[in-house]
Amino acid sequence: MVEASVTLWQKHMLKFIRNPEEPLGMLLQPILWVVLFGVGMRALVGGVAPNVGDYLTFMLPGIITLTALGGAVTSGASLLDERLRGIIKEYLVAPIPRLSILSGNALSTVTKALLQALLILILGWLMGARLNSNILSVLAGLLALGVYTVGFAGIALSVAARVRSNLGYHGLIFLLNLPLLFASNALYPLATLPRWMQFLAWINPTTYVIDSMRLLIYNGSNTFSLGLSAAILVIFAALGMWLAYSSFKNVVST
Amino acid sequence: MYAIEIQNLMKSFSSDVLAIDHLNLTIPEDRIYALLGPNGAGKTTTLSILTTLLLPTSGAAQVMGFDVVRQAAQVRENIGVTFQEIVLDPDLTGREVLDIHGRLYKMPTRQRQERIIEMVKLVELDEAIDRLVKTYSGGMKRRLELVRGLMTHPKVLFLDEPTQGLDPHNRAKIWDYIHELRRQTGLTIMLTTHYMEEAEALADGVGIIDHGKLVADSTPQALVTQLGADVVHIVGHGSPQPFLQALQQLPYIQEIHQSDDEGIHLQVGVDNGNRRLPEIIHLASRNGSQNGSQDEFMIDEISVARPSLGDVFLKLTGRALRDR
Repeated sequence: MVEASVTLWQKHMLKFIRNPEEPLGMLLQPILWVVLFGVGMRALVGGVAPNVGDYLTFMLPGIITLTALGGAVTSGASLLDERLRGIIKEYLVAPIPRLSILSGNALSTVTKALLQALLILILGWLMGARLNSNILSVLAGLLALGVYTVGFAGIALSVAARVRSNLGYHGLIFLLNLPLLFASNALYPLATLPRWMQFLAWINPTTYVIDSMRLLIYNGSNTFSLGLSAAILVIFAALGMWLAYSSFKNVVST
Repeated sequence: MYAIEIQNLMKSFSSDVLAIDHLNLTIPEDRIYALLGPNGAGKTTTLSILTTLLLPTSGAAQVMGFDVVRQAAQVRENIGVTFQEIVLDPDLTGREVLDIHGRLYKMPTRQRQERIIEMVKLVELDEAIDRLVKTYSGGMKRRLELVRGLMTHPKVLFLDEPTQGLDPHNRAKIWDYIHELRRQTGLTIMLTTHYMEEAEALADGVGIIDHGKLVADSTPQALVTQLGADVVHIVGHGSPQPFLQALQQLPYIQEIHQSDDEGIHLQVGVDNGNRRLPEIIHLASRNGSQNGSQDEFMIDEISVARPSLGDVFLKLTGRALRDR
């Protein structure tokens, strides 16, 4: 299981490095978010928003999460591509667990998300967002991001296992992606939201990864206890992969 | 022991259509067996079940004694597969494709490196092996897929339409490699094809499949010789009945088959085509031709040939097996 996952993870990374558009896009996207969107929002919201401190620092965990979501979408698309082209059959007839096909893919998503997160942290630091001086705490924040990414990668893989075309995939994912971000604490403090939106944010795992990252990476204030956030993120990751696995299993052997 | 056994296999994708209909088949070890049939006959479905990609609706099948449903993991360890469509990652080099494949089967590094050298030599990809697959020609991709299937020393190799879309030169090359393999190692190969020449060139055993049913299962020679030593093909128009009745009286006629594929097509198996041809023409002219009336038979075309699997297919299914 582990061996096969690692082999497939390496294959995804090899293809990733080899294909110049993907790493380039992956570098540019966070730069655009931090430099253009972040700076603009900081200037706009800076003086207005209460209790958030520096707005750029406040929204960086949200940008990191959004970027990770984008990466998971790409990875789901790569599974879909392998499925539609039939490349997946090579793995299906090999003596490896079905789950390793998914976990190899999800692992590569997490790797890319962490690389992007590092880049964003550096960019943010250059623009004045000071990191927590405890490096272990920063690493724990990145771990939370990794766990969250596994969960969303699972959802993307599940959609990729079921849809019949690229268009269908991107349509469905778009419906998931942005609401996860907007109905969370990514761009605005929970306390400022109306009740119904607070409720949506509470049931949205994105809220918990952002809340933990604010605390762990930027030494900000958290709304939920770390233990609760950790538990929710682990459950989210497990559910996501389970969903991916059950969709995948159904589709491949009928 | 049999390499492949199939008992009463059925597969349906919707309630009214059977893709595979009560299929029974046994293939001994060290044979090359070809499943021959037109597109849509159920060849790929059969292979997909044997390679654990699809679950059967009912019935059972074993590969090297392992049940394809209950012991899928053991089946997978013992087989190599190439698929009908080319399924290669275009952004990897040939060597990477083979190496990753070997790793998925837990081959040690050293063994993988040696096997890759051996495989590359077999299919003459030495020059190209470190290039990206997207730069390969169709023939090179097929060759790479063939050795990917062989990479892990499978006991049974499944080839689904191994030469589909290849020109005659590349097709002949693939056939050479398969013969070479066969000479070097004990290996059971099951392949599907809709090219009858391919089955004739490669296989020890041939199964003819049509509408999901196995309509013949024998050696290519036995299938062909049951038609007679030679086959006289007659294409004509009019009413063939008097002519057919006269033909049937002749002692040397072994087999007559009629189909209305392109005009009236008669397939007449005889002991010696060259000697009997004049008599057949004579017989036809006595039963038609002279008065030119509509209900009598006129020969448009006549030829003698060694019988082929294509003739067998026409006889068994009433339809010509065409390359599509």
